[in-house]
Amino acid sequence: MRLPSRRATAAIALVSAVAAFVFWGLTRPDPLPASAIPAHTADRANGEVLYHAGSCFACHKPPDGAANPSLPSGGTPFKTPIGVFYPQNLTPDPETGLGRWREVDFVNAMTRGLAPDGRHYFPAFPYAAYRAMPMTDLLDLRAYLLSLEAVKAVHPPHTVPQLGLARRGVGLWKRIALARAPFLPASGGSDSWKRGAYLVNAPGHCGECHTPKSWLMIEDLNRYMSGGPHPGGEGKVPSLRGLLAREKYEDVSNLTLALQNGEELGYEDLSSGGMAAIQENLAKLPESDVRAISEYLLSLK
Amino acid sequence: MSLGKRTLASLVGSSFLVAGAWGAALTADPAHLRHEAMETVQESFKPLRAIAVKETPFDAAVVKKNATTILEKLKEAHGLFPEGSGGGDSRAKAEIWSDRAGFDTAMKNAQAAATAMAAVTDEAAYMAAMKTLGGSCKACHDKYRLPKQ
Repeated sequence: MRLPSRRATAAIALVSAVAAFVFWGLTRPDPLPASAIPAHTADRANGEVLYHAGSCFACHKPPDGAANPSLPSGGTPFKTPIGVFYPQNLTPDPETGLGRWREVDFVNAMTRGLAPDGRHYFPAFPYAAYRAMPMTDLLDLRAYLLSLEAVKAVHPPHTVPQLGLARRGVGLWKRIALARAPFLPASGGSDSWKRGAYLVNAPGHCGECHTPKSWLMIEDLNRYMSGGPHPGGEGKVPSLRGLLAREKYEDVSNLTLALQNGEELGYEDLSSGGMAAIQENLAKLPESDVRAISEYLLSLK
Repeated sequence: MSLGKRTLASLVGSSFLVAGAWGAALTADPAHLRHEAMETVQESFKPLRAIAVKETPFDAAVVKKNATTILEKLKEAHGLFPEGSGGGDSRAKAEIWSDRAGFDTAMKNAQAAATAMAAVTDEAAYMAAMKTLGGSCKACHDKYRLPKQ
């Protein structure tokens, strides 16, 4: 076998260097500066509503047997097709939680998918949806989380192949996925419907499971909320379209009751594939918000 | 012509045989049978929910009748999960067999809750019994049942 000539070797090295340079440039994080954060008096009660609307606890719950089982100290394995993630501790512990995070750090995490040190978060953390949340809601949510009891919790590293390179590569994904404006229908309905549209699409991130994704792992809005493969491999996620026409629920009051009580009142569709945990969080919302969610969902034909 | 008639007759006859065999296979299929039993549980739950949301008044006889049906059908279904009866159209998760003890406990919790519900005679105890019974369905479905396909 002939070895490549010196000229060929130089060419390969040059192409590789250029490719690495371009990759590095295209995947560069783009955080908001601290000066972008407005002065705001945080409303913790609103933050708590958003915390439940987003079902933060469903993913950030501690593993079974934790000393504080109701606090979002994270660490329960979250299985995805690309690997297993161990969600962040959301309690105010300064070492392992959000205790040292500035306001801008929290906003960058929620809307740009960036850690305080500037690294990309994998989109298993649904910032593509959260970026539709206004700054005031984000700061209220942060204030609520900081009001919780601090829990020190050290988690194992994510088990994703080529973790470092894959993480940097998320920057490329963001260039495509976040180039599109966040989906947020804002016109056409009552105030309650608009509230429902916001809760479902922004903090609620219902589409993360109920809208099928393209091969690039971006939600396919042509098939918005029409169901698809379960992200954790548990069969299929049901469609949320045509719930009235398909006689799944009778009316807004009926769906509200179902979301508030789940299978405790025999609404058995709300208990499989991880939905039980979501329903338990939705049950903690003010009734007007659950009604708003129901009104919006039942409007999807 | 008579040959044609005979062929037709034997065709009809064999199709009855096939349909009969298919029906027999279906009724012997544990996945099908337990699904039927669970459908009855779901139907029997509806009058209980109507009382809980105050669509209909509390009636101890209605509660007893439906809770008893739920208990019977839960026991029946519990016996219809032999090894290897998952997969296909079944919503049963593999965890039923990999964590058999956990599944059996969840099923027994539901039966205990149905027994307690059948014994409820006053409205005050009703809501608590309802939450326990519904909660037991939920706990088992959350862990051992796939979403609707």
